[in-house]
Amino acid sequence: MADIVDIAVSAGSFQTLVTAVQAAGLVDTLKSPGPFTVFAPNDDAFAKLPPGTIHTLVQNIPQLARILTYHVVPGRLMAADIAKLNCLTSVEGSEIRIDTSHGFEVKNATVIAPDIEADNGVIHVIDTVILMG
Amino acid sequence: MSSLPLTLPAPTQCPMPNAHYPCFVMTATILAPSTQLPPSSHEFAPVIHRLEAGGAMLPDTPENLMQIIGIYKAYAVPMDFYWRDLLYIAERVFLNPFPFFKYFLPKEYLDLHNHYAGDDADLRIWRGEATAHPELLAFMEKGETFKMPKLLHHLWHDRINMEFAEACMRAMLWHRGMGGNFDPYLDTDEYKANADRAIKAYFKGNPVMLGLYQMFPEMFIEQVRQLSYYSNLGLFWEVMAPVFFEMSDRYDAGDIKSVPEAMNFLVNAIFAMAGRPIYHHVHIRGEVYEIIPKSCGFMWLYEAALPYVEAVFYRTAPFRGTKSYNAQAKQVPDNQKDFHYGILYADVFPVGTAGIPPTLLMQDMLHFLPKYLVDYYHQHCRGEDDMLIQLGISFQRSMYVVTSAVIQALRTALLYPLDDPNPRHLQANRAFFETQIDRFKRPEARLRDVQSQNYR
Repeated sequence: MADIVDIAVSAGSFQTLVTAVQAAGLVDTLKSPGPFTVFAPNDDAFAKLPPGTIHTLVQNIPQLARILTYHVVPGRLMAADIAKLNCLTSVEGSEIRIDTSHGFEVKNATVIAPDIEADNGVIHVIDTVILMG
Repeated sequence: MSSLPLTLPAPTQCPMPNAHYPCFVMTATILAPSTQLPPSSHEFAPVIHRLEAGGAMLPDTPENLMQIIGIYKAYAVPMDFYWRDLLYIAERVFLNPFPFFKYFLPKEYLDLHNHYAGDDADLRIWRGEATAHPELLAFMEKGETFKMPKLLHHLWHDRINMEFAEACMRAMLWHRGMGGNFDPYLDTDEYKANADRAIKAYFKGNPVMLGLYQMFPEMFIEQVRQLSYYSNLGLFWEVMAPVFFEMSDRYDAGDIKSVPEAMNFLVNAIFAMAGRPIYHHVHIRGEVYEIIPKSCGFMWLYEAALPYVEAVFYRTAPFRGTKSYNAQAKQVPDNQKDFHYGILYADVFPVGTAGIPPTLLMQDMLHFLPKYLVDYYHQHCRGEDDMLIQLGISFQRSMYVVTSAVIQALRTALLYPLDDPNPRHLQANRAFFETQIDRFKRPEARLRDVQSQNYR
């Protein structure tokens, strides 16, 4: 099985995420044994952000890394595991609200492809970039 | 970035000749009122419905638009001084025990390039120059009187009222704990160690001050915390000045035609600037001491903008000499979080009370009003000093639009699109809007007043 980064690269629909992860220097972390649960926004999710948002973040790596690590939770949490919880604590430190009463929602994002398993964790694809707050 | 195999969405280029810099574009969508939800039963239901349709708390009228844009321009010029001087004090004046000349901005800081204006901008928000605004420089030279040495302008108080900027900074310092990681960081051992290094370097060879530091270390650390807030606010306003200048230019060019368009420009600016680092560096004898390094990851949105809005727009503190409060009768809240003395609640009438921060700002803005606003105020003048009150109320209207932009930005970031097809999501948006507007139910709030043009 491939790791989280390899899966994201090969999928082709995570170009912005992969570039951001590379820019933030998080590739090695996400290739490490982990395991991690990654809520991975696809390219359409990044495209929904107002203009300039990504531009400024890419210029400022610690800030970009903070947004990206908000999408990562320690441990391998499958959709069925997450369904038992109300919120998760991200690697960034802030909480992520979970709502599985109507589908599978992570804060204001909807999981459009759950449980993509990797060697070092699991990916849930989301349709919106989630932000702290 | 160029070596990376994949590319990020390219920033839009400015529609200007020879423009190679990334630039900022505006999008605005005004929706028809939602038919998916029953009408809100909130006391301010029309405002809730307006927010749900992509509007602002302020009604969309040409008169309101003219007032808010004119005030943004008049605010941006002194703000261009404020942010430069705040950074100068945080970075250079630092712990000077006799900071008599902290408002005497050196040329180096007047020439300091704003990161969001000019050809070398990180992201060009304003299409003007990166150095101090020409109207600011002209005012600094002559003031209201005539050209004379800087010291005389200062003593005559014929100058930019930096005291206003410091009052805003102190509101942030005093309230503290308004979200974000910046404030908790000020109490960490790491911060204290960084401050300690800078304090010792600054007072190197000064046994008196080093001795005082040894005796009262917390007092010095607290002063450094205050200086960190100088830096925080300076970095925050460095962004807002070009945003307001650009809005004024776009209005003059006919590119901003409505209040929601103005608000959406602000919403987009909030997102574009969200990742701007907030830090505190001090320059001592040619060396830079990173008291709060950029690597902390502190962001403009979370660690500066949101705490600023909370501290300055909502909370602040009662201004001395304007009104008496009976604390036993609970006229002053027990909890700081319930304070409501900010611009969104302010009674603008007692201006002229010398020295209170809003009067200082109004006096600063008076010097830079666009002609259309001066003419407008003259039409409704009640007396010689009335223009200060009228512009204060325009300022209040304009800050209701900035607050609307913050509310819409938070809704965008944390909740759902206004045209989301899912009624449950629309209901969540409504609950959010109603919670925000609940803060204006108290009688001091001016949300009711700004709905009418007769409030002036």
